Amino acid sequence: MKKLLCVTLALCMLVLLTSCGGKQPEETTAGFKPVLDKNTSCKIVVTGSYDNFEALEAEFDKFNEFYPNVQLSYVKLDDYNNVLGTVLEGKDKPNIFFSYTWMAGNEQYDSVTSLMEDLSDPALKLNLDCIRPGLINRDAEGHVRMVPVFSRSYGMLVNKTLFEKEGLSVPSTWTELMAVCEAFRGKGYASPMMGYSLKSSSCFMNTVAYPLFVATLAKNKEALTLANNLDPAAGENMRPALEAMEHLIQNGCINLSECDKIEDNYTQVILRFFEGDVPMMICAGDTVSGTKKREGQSEAFTKAPFDYTFAPIPMTDEGGYFIDSPSIQFSVNKGCDNLDMTNEFMRFLVSNEELNQMASVKRLVTPTRDLTFDKVYAPFGQVPADRTISPEVLGIKDRLVAQIRVAAFRVGKGEMTIDEAISMYGSFE
Amino acid sequence: MKKIWVIVVNVLIMVAMLTFVVFYSASESRNTTQRQTEHFENTAIVLEHVTENYLEGEQRICDVWARYINMKGMTIEEAVSFIRTSHVLPNVSAHIVYLDTLSGLSTRARQNTSDNCSVSYARMDLLDDVSWINNDIGKAINISRAYTNPVNGEQSISFCNHITLYDPEAGNPRQAILLRVLPLAELEEKWVFPQEEFESAELSIIDSSGDYIIKGHSFKNSSFFEFYRSYNGTDTASTQNLFEKITSSTGSVAILNSRGKECILAYTPVAAAGGWTLLSLMPMKDLNVSTENWLLIGFVSAGLLILFVFDLAVILSINKKLQATAKEAAAANKAKTDFLSTMSHDIRTPMNAIIGLTAIAEKNPGDKESVGENLRKISLASNHLLTLINDILDISKIESGKLNLSPLTFSIVETVENLVNLAQPMVKEKNIDFNFRVSRFEKEYLYADQLRLNQIYINILSNAIKYTEPGGRVSVDMHEEESQNPGCVKLTYVVSDNGIGMSPEFMATMYQPFSRQTDSRVNSIQGTGLGLAITKQMVDLMEGSIDCQSEQGKGTTFTIIMDLPVAERQREEMMLEPMDMLIVDDDELLLDTAAETLASLGVTADRAGSGLEALRMIKDRHEAGRDYRVAILDWKMPDIDGIETIRRIRAEVGPGTAILLSSAYDWSDIEDMAKEAGANGFIVKPLFRSKLYDKINSILGTEVKSVDPENDYSDLQGMNILIAEDNDINWEIISALLGMFGITTERAENGRICVEKMKQAEKGAYSLIFMDIQMPEMNGLEATGNIRKLADPWASSIPIVAMTADAFSENITECMNAGMNGHIAKPIDIKLVIKEIRRIREEGKS
Repeated sequence: MKKLLCVTLALCMLVLLTSCGGKQPEETTAGFKPVLDKNTSCKIVVTGSYDNFEALEAEFDKFNEFYPNVQLSYVKLDDYNNVLGTVLEGKDKPNIFFSYTWMAGNEQYDSVTSLMEDLSDPALKLNLDCIRPGLINRDAEGHVRMVPVFSRSYGMLVNKTLFEKEGLSVPSTWTELMAVCEAFRGKGYASPMMGYSLKSSSCFMNTVAYPLFVATLAKNKEALTLANNLDPAAGENMRPALEAMEHLIQNGCINLSECDKIEDNYTQVILRFFEGDVPMMICAGDTVSGTKKREGQSEAFTKAPFDYTFAPIPMTDEGGYFIDSPSIQFSVNKGCDNLDMTNEFMRFLVSNEELNQMASVKRLVTPTRDLTFDKVYAPFGQVPADRTISPEVLGIKDRLVAQIRVAAFRVGKGEMTIDEAISMYGSFE
Repeated sequence: MKKIWVIVVNVLIMVAMLTFVVFYSASESRNTTQRQTEHFENTAIVLEHVTENYLEGEQRICDVWARYINMKGMTIEEAVSFIRTSHVLPNVSAHIVYLDTLSGLSTRARQNTSDNCSVSYARMDLLDDVSWINNDIGKAINISRAYTNPVNGEQSISFCNHITLYDPEAGNPRQAILLRVLPLAELEEKWVFPQEEFESAELSIIDSSGDYIIKGHSFKNSSFFEFYRSYNGTDTASTQNLFEKITSSTGSVAILNSRGKECILAYTPVAAAGGWTLLSLMPMKDLNVSTENWLLIGFVSAGLLILFVFDLAVILSINKKLQATAKEAAAANKAKTDFLSTMSHDIRTPMNAIIGLTAIAEKNPGDKESVGENLRKISLASNHLLTLINDILDISKIESGKLNLSPLTFSIVETVENLVNLAQPMVKEKNIDFNFRVSRFEKEYLYADQLRLNQIYINILSNAIKYTEPGGRVSVDMHEEESQNPGCVKLTYVVSDNGIGMSPEFMATMYQPFSRQTDSRVNSIQGTGLGLAITKQMVDLMEGSIDCQSEQGKGTTFTIIMDLPVAERQREEMMLEPMDMLIVDDDELLLDTAAETLASLGVTADRAGSGLEALRMIKDRHEAGRDYRVAILDWKMPDIDGIETIRRIRAEVGPGTAILLSSAYDWSDIEDMAKEAGANGFIVKPLFRSKLYDKINSILGTEVKSVDPENDYSDLQGMNILIAEDNDINWEIISALLGMFGITTERAENGRICVEKMKQAEKGAYSLIFMDIQMPEMNGLEATGNIRKLADPWASSIPIVAMTADAFSENITECMNAGMNGHIAKPIDIKLVIKEIRRIREEGKS
C-alpha cells in the first residue's frame, strides 16, 4: 500500500514535470510533402485586384507550417489591368499575379503573358487534374499559363427556409419557376425574384439572359463566330434569352421597382436577401462570395437566420445552365525572385483540399471537380454535363459579353424592345 | 510518526511549495507582461511621435514645393522641372496631376522609357475625392493610403498638396494636385520598432474606417476592422466599441491573429494626421516570460522530487539500519539476558557446591577424609568460579576495546608445562588419551603477553577436553618455525580431538560471545560461552591466525599460528655427552620428535614402540655389554605400561640403565609405584630440549633421591617474607598457607608501614615482599617506588612480588614498571606462590 502510494506520488510529480514541457507542433496539412529546404528564408508576393484576399492569406499561414521562414503577402494593385505590365517589369516584381483569360492573345498584354510560366510543365508537378477540365485554358502550344483558383457562375440565391415555410419546392424547371412565383405572389410576396437593376454591370437581367444566350450560341458554331465578331446578324440569337428575361418581369416574377431599391450590386443585394422575405435573389457567384461575412452584419439574418443555397435559374423546362467560367486565375511570374519557392507554393495550393478551402473561405465556386463540399454551391454539382457550358472553352469573347449585358439591361428596364436590342447587336458600348 | 505520514507531510509541503511557485510565477509573469505591455504601448507612442515627425518632415518638403510653385505661377512643366532640381533622393519622385483630368507629369520617366513622364490617376480611386487634402498648405499632413505608383508600379504613399498651375493654352490658372511619392518598401525598411525586444512587432497605420494606410505583414485583409472581425469572434456591439476605442485613444488590447495566436495590439492616434491610428501588433508569447517561469517551476519540481526521493531513500535506509540495529540490539539483549541467566546458573552452580560442601565439612569436622574430599571439591568449584569471572572481565574489556597486550620475557617451556599441568586433572578425570608433542623448539624464551598466550592455549585445549567424551582422544602438536618477521619465530599450536565436533551453523557464529555448542552426549559442559570469543580476539590482537576444522560427531582441530618475538635471553648452548639412549613410546610421532630433539642435543637414540620391545632391546644391549645409559619410557603403552616395563628391566637386566618415566598425565598417583619399580625420575611431556637436557644431566649426575623436587620444600625453610596486606582475612590466608611450607611471615597493614619496616629492617631480615596494590594510606605501587629509593642497597633491591586482585595484564605491566619482580593474582594458588618464590630465589642466586 505504502509502495503504491509512493509510486503514485512520484508519477504525479513526473506528470507535473512533463506538463511543463513545450507544446507539440500542430498537425500539418496531409498530402503535401515539402521538397525544398524548410529553413529557406524568402519573400513571395501575390498581386491582384481584390481589395482583400483573406482566403489566400489563410493559405499563406498553412504554407508557413512547412516553410516558416517564407514571408508571403498579398498586395492589391490599383488600376490592376493597366499597371500589371509595369509592375511585372518593375523593381518589386510579384511572384504570382491574377490573370484573366482575355489577356491571352491581347496584344496589350503580350508583355504580361510572355512572363507567365508554363504551369503544365511536368517538372513543377502541379496537380492540374484536380481542376475541372472546362476551366483550364491551354495556349496554342498546349501550355497552361493560368491556373483558376475560383470559378464564376450565374444563378439565384434561394431562401430554402422560406420555401419550406410556404410549403413550396425549389423550382428546377421553367414551369415550376412560374408556378412557384405565382404561388409566392399569391402569398403576398411582391417580388418572388429580385436582383440588382440600377446599372448594367452585374444587373439581374444579364444574369438571367447570359446563360441562355451562351447556350444558344453553343448550339450554333456559326452564330458564335458571328457573335464574337459583333456581327448584327448574330443579334437574333439573343432573342430566347431576352424573351425569357422579359417574361419574368412582365409575368410578375420580378418586380422591377422593388429591385431598383437595391443600391449596389454586391453588399446591398446580399443584405436585401438576408432580410428574409425574398425567395430568390438573382446574382452572380461573385456576389454569393460576400454572403458568409455579411451574415453577421445583417441584423435581420442574425435575428432570424435561414438556410439558403445558390442554384442555376431554371430558364428551360430541362432546367438551368451552369456557366462554368474561371473567375480568378493565378499565373507565376517566371522573372521573379525565388521562383523555386513560388512553384512550391503553387504545388501546395493547386490541390483539392487547398482550392476547396480557399473557395470555402471566399465562398466562391471552387474550380475543383468536387462541388459538393459547400452546400451553398451544391446544386451546381448536380447540373448534368450537357448543361454545363464553359464560355472559355466555347470561345466566347469578352466583347460579346458586353453586348448581351447591355441589351438585357435595356430591355429589362423597358428602354428598348427586344427587336430593337437584336438589331443593335454589336453596337452596344 | 508513521512512515506514511512522513511521506504525506513531505508531499503536502512539496505541493504547497510548488503551488506557491506556480502562483508566484504566474503573478510575476502577469506583472512582467503588464510591464512589458506598458512598455510596448509606450514604445508605440514614441514611435507615433517619430512617425509624426517623419510625416511632418516629408509634408513640409511637399509644402515648400507647393508654396513655391503657387508663388511662381508655374506651368506643369516648370513645376516638374523645379522639383527635379530641388531634390536628390533617388527613390522619391513627385507627380503633378490636374484635378480635372487626374493626369499630369511625373518627375521620373515611365518604366522602360527615357522621356515619357506622363502620369494618370484617372483609373484609380485615390484622387476621385480629394477632400482629405487640406486646401491650406502647411496646415495638415496630407498623406495618401498605400497605392500603386502608376509610373513604376511600386507600392507607394504620397504627401499631397493642392497647387495652382498656370495653363498656357487656356491662359488661366488650373488646379492640380502635387504628390510627393515615396516607395512603401523603403519606408517599411526604416519604419520598424526601435527596441530589439520588440523585433517581432509589426506596424500599421489605419484611417478612421479601418483601412490600412500602411499595412504590416501580419495584418490581413484591406481593413483592420475586417481583419479583426474575421479572426476574433465577438458580437457586433463589442466590436464597434473596440473600433471606436482604437481610433480615439491610446492603449492596448489582446487579439487573435490569422493563425489564432494571441497577440497584443497597441494603438495610439497619429496626432498630426487626423483620424489615423498607429497600430503595433506583436505575439503575446514574445511579451510573456512564462517560458522562464515554467523552467523555474520545472526545476523546482525536479529538485523537490529528487529531494523527496533522496529523503525517502535515506529514511528507508535509516529505517532499515535502525531495524537491523534494533534486531541486533534485541538479539544482543537476548544474548545478554541469556548470558545473565547462564551466568546466574553457572555462578550459582559452583557457589552451591562451595556453600553446600562447606556446610557439610562444618558438620563433620571429625571426618578427616570427608572434609578433605569436600575441600578438594570446594577448590575445584572455586577455580571454576574464578575462570568464569576472569572470562567475564576479559570479554567486557574486549567489547569496550580496552584489551591491551603486556609483553614480557617468558619461557615457552614453562608455559607448556603449565598447560599440561592444567590439562592433567581434566584428562585424568575423563580418562582421555592425551598426547602433547613438541618439535623443533630452538628458542625457549619469547617476548609476548604470556598471560594471554596461556589463555589462548588453555581455552583451546580445555575446550577440546571438555567436548571430548570420556575415553576419547586429544592431542596437541606444537612446534616452532622460522618466521618471515625478523626476530620472531612462528609458533604453531594444533589441538585435535575426536569429540562431538561442531555443526556448520555453530561454526559460523562460534567466535561470537555467549555461544556454546550443545550436544546431548555432553550435557554437563561447564563454560561461559566466552572462551572462543576471547581467544579469537586475543589471537587477532597478537596478529596471529586461528583456524578450525570440525565435523560433527568426528572431532575438531584448531590451529593457531602466531609470530612471536624471540627474547634476548636464551639458554646457553646445550649439548649432552655422547651416549646410548633408548626412547620408548607407542606414539610414532612422539618418537620422531623426541629422537630429533635428542639428536640436536648430540645424542643418537634408539626407538622402541612398546614396553616389550624396549625390554628386549635393553636385554640385548646388556648381553652385548653395551647398556643404554638412559632410557625414557612412556607410562601409558598398549601391551605393558611403563611401570611394568621398568619393573621387568630391573628384574631381568638390573639397574644399569637410568630410566626416566615420561607422561603427559598427572603421575602423583603412580609416583610411589614407579619409584618402587625402579624409575630414576620423571619427565613431563612434551619433551622439550631444555627439559631433556636438564633431566638427563640430573639423573646421570646424581642418584635419584627425590625424584620430584617440587615436593621437597626444605629449600623454603627459614624464609621470612614481609606481606603488605590491608585485609585481615587475606593476610591470615597467605600467612597460614606459607606457614604450611615453613615460611615465616610479617605483616605490614599498608604501604607506608611496609616502607617503614623496610627502613628499619636489618639486612637479610626478609627474603622478599608480597605486596598488595590497593591499600589505604599508601598503595603498593607507591610503596614499591619508595622502597626502590631506599639508601640501603639490600633494602632497595629486595624482591617484591605483587599479590593483588588486579589481575589484568596491564596491571602486571604497571607493577613491573613500578619496580616489582613478579605478580601473583588473587585468589592465590599456593602452588603458583611457591613456584614464584622459588623463581625469585633462583634469580637471586644467579
